Amino acid sequence: MNQSVLTRNNVQVSGTGQQPMLFAHGFGCDQNMWRFMTPAFADDYKIVLFDYVGSGKSDLSAYDPRRYSSLDGYAQDVLDVIHALDLSDVIFVGHSVSSMIGVLASNREPSLFAQLIMIGPSPRYINDTSYVGGFERRDIEELLDTMDKNYIGWANFLAPAIMKNPERPELAAELSESFCSTDPVIARRFAEATFFADNRGDLQKVKVPSLVLQCSDDIIAPDSVGDYVTRETPGSTLHNLQATGHCPHMSHPDETIAAIKAYLAQAGTHQDVELAHQ
Amino acid sequence: MQGLIDRAPAGFISFAADGTICDINATLLEMLGAGRESVVGRPFESLLTVASRIFYQTHLFPLLRLQSTAEELFITMRCGDAPDVAFLASFTSRDAGGATYYDGVLMRLRERRKWEDEIVRARRVAEEANRRNSALLSMMSHDLRTPIGSISGYTDILLMGIRGELTDPQRDDLQRMKKASEYVLSLIEDVLSFARLNAGEISAPDLRTLNADAVIAETESLIGPRMEQNGIAYERIDCTPSVTIVADPDRLQQILLNLLTNAVKFTPAGGRITIKCVSDGESTDIKVADTGRGIPADQLEKIFEPFVQVTGTAAAVSGRQKGFGLGLAISRGLARRMNGELTVESEVGVGSTFTLRLPASLGG
Repeated sequence: MNQSVLTRNNVQVSGTGQQPMLFAHGFGCDQNMWRFMTPAFADDYKIVLFDYVGSGKSDLSAYDPRRYSSLDGYAQDVLDVIHALDLSDVIFVGHSVSSMIGVLASNREPSLFAQLIMIGPSPRYINDTSYVGGFERRDIEELLDTMDKNYIGWANFLAPAIMKNPERPELAAELSESFCSTDPVIARRFAEATFFADNRGDLQKVKVPSLVLQCSDDIIAPDSVGDYVTRETPGSTLHNLQATGHCPHMSHPDETIAAIKAYLAQAGTHQDVELAHQ
Repeated sequence: MQGLIDRAPAGFISFAADGTICDINATLLEMLGAGRESVVGRPFESLLTVASRIFYQTHLFPLLRLQSTAEELFITMRCGDAPDVAFLASFTSRDAGGATYYDGVLMRLRERRKWEDEIVRARRVAEEANRRNSALLSMMSHDLRTPIGSISGYTDILLMGIRGELTDPQRDDLQRMKKASEYVLSLIEDVLSFARLNAGEISAPDLRTLNADAVIAETESLIGPRMEQNGIAYERIDCTPSVTIVADPDRLQQILLNLLTNAVKFTPAGGRITIKCVSDGESTDIKVADTGRGIPADQLEKIFEPFVQVTGTAAAVSGRQKGFGLGLAISRGLARRMNGELTVESEVGVGSTFTLRLPASLGG
């Protein structure tokens, strides 16, 4: 077991089941976002939670700007955690950008994964010729502005510490108790890696069965994007949730849990049938 | 009281857990140029600009759901055909009748927004300039390193006598050339390290638990001959094999070599340099002390800034000071990348003590 990865990514393991369910948080928050979901799976699965380097209580000193300049670096975090715990047959549950991170990780080492469960996935947020991602580039630039302005507020809050130690981003970790995102530079880079990414070409390469959970009225991943992901990803199933917004695992956990359980039950049945025919 | 809330110079809004707006005061309606009936019953999110809606979904909503409060957030709201309106907003949750509601107070930003726009713009310009400078420094250093390497290599060939026998004066001249090219190479390495550190491009340190004594001994072997040559006494105190330190071995050695090289540079013949280890189990200090001329109090922090040399010292006055003044800036930057710190205490005429503090154990 690689202890340094477990510390680096603040890996938390619980649950009494055998098959691992690895929950990957999205941009802006950390593993705490799963707290309304995981108890429902703890009896049947091994629950693995982690924070990407740069998020939550991960080791900020391990942040390498080159590695995390694209989603590939985050996918490597997922694989590092899986290898550190020696996991296999993993049910990967990713929220938002983590859906694509899961796609990248499973494309690299498909044999480690049993299922991909993607909550609000989007392979590209910016509109392109004949593709509707939902945003124009200027929307994303305005988001980066909004984030910058918010960090001005946080900087004021932390002024005494930051004024004394301007080069020590880890001091901003004090924010981790009060806010999901911590370090402003890292959060901004994560936003850029997320919202300027184009992973449409990776969907076709997926070799693992997947579930797309699509919310109603989701500004970040609209219905057309959920349809696109399902259409382009081999072996993908679409489930439309009544839940509105982009965070059904927090706003409507019961509906989200039920959808995942129903899918896994069905997938398990299919697997049993396939095994019986082999 | 209801009248006060309705007309107070701040926006008040209340929405249910699913985001449906339940109440809004007259001030906020006026700011948004909207009527109450067109707002109540709509999702709160729908009042926001696209960028703020993303921020709401990725930050504000999770924060309210996980922690029940969110304070001092910058959000922008749509105002019909008029320009967007910026607010500084705080929210808190309230339970009533078995349901959860979120109440927000919104202060409109006008002049402050201009200042904040200017701060963000200035920071972006500075970051861009910094990136360009670092890229330029990095490119220049690469371009310089290759020819200097050639000069050094061909000097070696001549010194080995491969091109024919050398006279003693020729050998002396070549050795001076060799020394000068090595010096220029070391400067280029400093500039490259600094450029990488400054651009945030230096890779994450490979942190391990090390035996402080062993790393120091290795560094001594590199700098020891120069101390002897300069007639400087040297002593290592309390750096027993049991003293541990968590660091990247290469970077720790780079820092120690820099501190010892500085100490040698500023300590006159007959002086003394000591290295002392102090550990309390949580952190380990490596103290490098010299009996040099010391650093004036007003320059103690400046010496960690790039391209700064201590002024007022004999070396500076005589123009004998060498280097770009990057060593300490790089060393402090590396120390901080390894969760540590580099500080200095000094007294003019007595000497200086540089303290490198790093964790004593992983997870400590």
